Amino acid sequence: MKKNFLSISIALVFLVSGGGLVLAAAQGDTPQAQLPVLITACGQSPDSSLLKAIFMRAKLEHPTPAYELILEAAPEDLTAASDAGRPFKSIMIIMGASLKGMGAAGIAIEDELERTEKLVEAARSQGISIIGVHIGGMKRRAQGADPGDNTDERSIDAVAPNSDFLIINQDGDSDGRFTTIANEKNIAILTVAKNLDLLEVVKQIYGQKYPQ
Amino acid sequence: MRVNVRSLRKAGFLLLGAALMLLAGLSFYNSRHLKEPVVLGPSVTEVKKLSDYFEGLEGTINDANVYVLEGQEPGGSVLILGGTHPEEPAGRLATWILAENAVLEQGRLFLILSANRSGTTVTRLGGAYPPDYSIETPWGERTFRMGDRWSNPLDQWPDPEVYIHYPSRQELAYMDIRNLNRTWPGRANGTLTEKTCFAIIQMIKEEKIDIAIDLHEAELQYPVISVIVAHEKGQDLAAMTSMMISGMGGFDLGMENSPHALRGLSHREIGDHTDAISLLLEAPEPMLDATRGRTDRKLLLEGKDEFVVKAGEHGLLFEKIDENGWPIDVRVGRHCSAILQILELWTEDHPERGVVVTSVPRYAEVIENGTGAYLHDHRKVSPARLRFE
Repeated sequence: MKKNFLSISIALVFLVSGGGLVLAAAQGDTPQAQLPVLITACGQSPDSSLLKAIFMRAKLEHPTPAYELILEAAPEDLTAASDAGRPFKSIMIIMGASLKGMGAAGIAIEDELERTEKLVEAARSQGISIIGVHIGGMKRRAQGADPGDNTDERSIDAVAPNSDFLIINQDGDSDGRFTTIANEKNIAILTVAKNLDLLEVVKQIYGQKYPQ
Repeated sequence: MRVNVRSLRKAGFLLLGAALMLLAGLSFYNSRHLKEPVVLGPSVTEVKKLSDYFEGLEGTINDANVYVLEGQEPGGSVLILGGTHPEEPAGRLATWILAENAVLEQGRLFLILSANRSGTTVTRLGGAYPPDYSIETPWGERTFRMGDRWSNPLDQWPDPEVYIHYPSRQELAYMDIRNLNRTWPGRANGTLTEKTCFAIIQMIKEEKIDIAIDLHEAELQYPVISVIVAHEKGQDLAAMTSMMISGMGGFDLGMENSPHALRGLSHREIGDHTDAISLLLEAPEPMLDATRGRTDRKLLLEGKDEFVVKAGEHGLLFEKIDENGWPIDVRVGRHCSAILQILELWTEDHPERGVVVTSVPRYAEVIENGTGAYLHDHRKVSPARLRFE
């Protein structure tokens, strides 16, 4: 019974949140991507740990590790994976900044923006899908930060318009910021009511069923 | 006989001063010696002392009780710290609920209700905090010491000009040498507060603790609020707990990584210096906000403050607040649910080291029934099942 606790709980969440997962109607079918996926962040957000936990629980089947979290991923990591015979096919970049995380790592937002730009450029040249992810809600937006702290918004500007599609916790899109970017750039956007719904999102994107 | 008015006036002021001193002294004395009963719950098999793990604490005010709850089935061990900062009462009350109610089916639970017992015997100097507060129960009231963020200067004094954290040598605020959450991992020959951390570290090692959870509350103007702060060893567990609680627990619980560069905190040092996963839980407490109004028992228990609400209207807060405030039951309930969720996820992933707990209320139950519903009448239990904090 205990083993089934999580599965039952997740099913309950979907019921409570009315299915939770919403695909922007204008964009058509659920966007697809391939494994393995590189998880990284633009701004050292701890939300990358949430996403990693989702992949851990999703247990997606793949001959090589389905995912890898490299918080400060650089183009060299893409090359290294390719050289090792397990090239990344998609990248999820967490948007939103952690001043504490960056401060602890001795990193400035400018460093993060520069690294992200190079990573996106390298991914594009290698045909890797780029998925922008914002799951921290309004707490990872300027409205939830110290007055004058715009690092969250700069992170979003660096990632969202350059993404193939977006995965957004709807709380963080309360002001329509991501919807506006998606509409302007014709980018598909997947919205979740609760981050636990990401289990279903991941399953859909990578075309696998969540293990029962 | 001629009366010297000036002398009479001096004598009057002297008497008035003495009376004020007496009243203040009595208040301090009563607060320091207030006995807080703990009715031992069904799974409490032993009450140890911190000095059982480090005799350097024996005879000091910080030789705290360690409540050991054991299940029938062997499993893992989890430590929960209440009262690291005694001015954050929800953490202490949550550990009280666990001590008096939890039924262990598997594994062991170690509870410390007054991690910095010295800090429970004083309130913020000059802060006009209430010395104590009472929780309504079905059988009457239970009174608790309010406490402070720091150890009582009566027990550890003077503070240095500069506090150099051991062993990192990081320079911290001078008064934080009395802050139990700035002195980890502690040292055997250090200050009282450092010795207390050292004793708990020894306990974690000796008892092979798998997870240490430190319970706190935070002001709404502090960005690390309504979160789990996790050492890297516990990031996956914290992340899943955050999502489960936010998805179906009834409230939002975020997650932050423990920074490497900020030393002395439990979520950093316990994880670095022991095999345990270290987590810290923060609940919102408006009474800690600098812009609060009158600092009284009502604010402590109801968490309602018009000035903090006003600060929120100006975008100065990192957590929402409205006219309902943040009542103590909400804050205690958050801690109870988060602890249970952590234990459930841990047990699911590590069945052989599982810790299974029942009979502890969750968030919605604590709000519905009140914290007092889970505090048992200490006047009706045998002395053998009663302890005092």
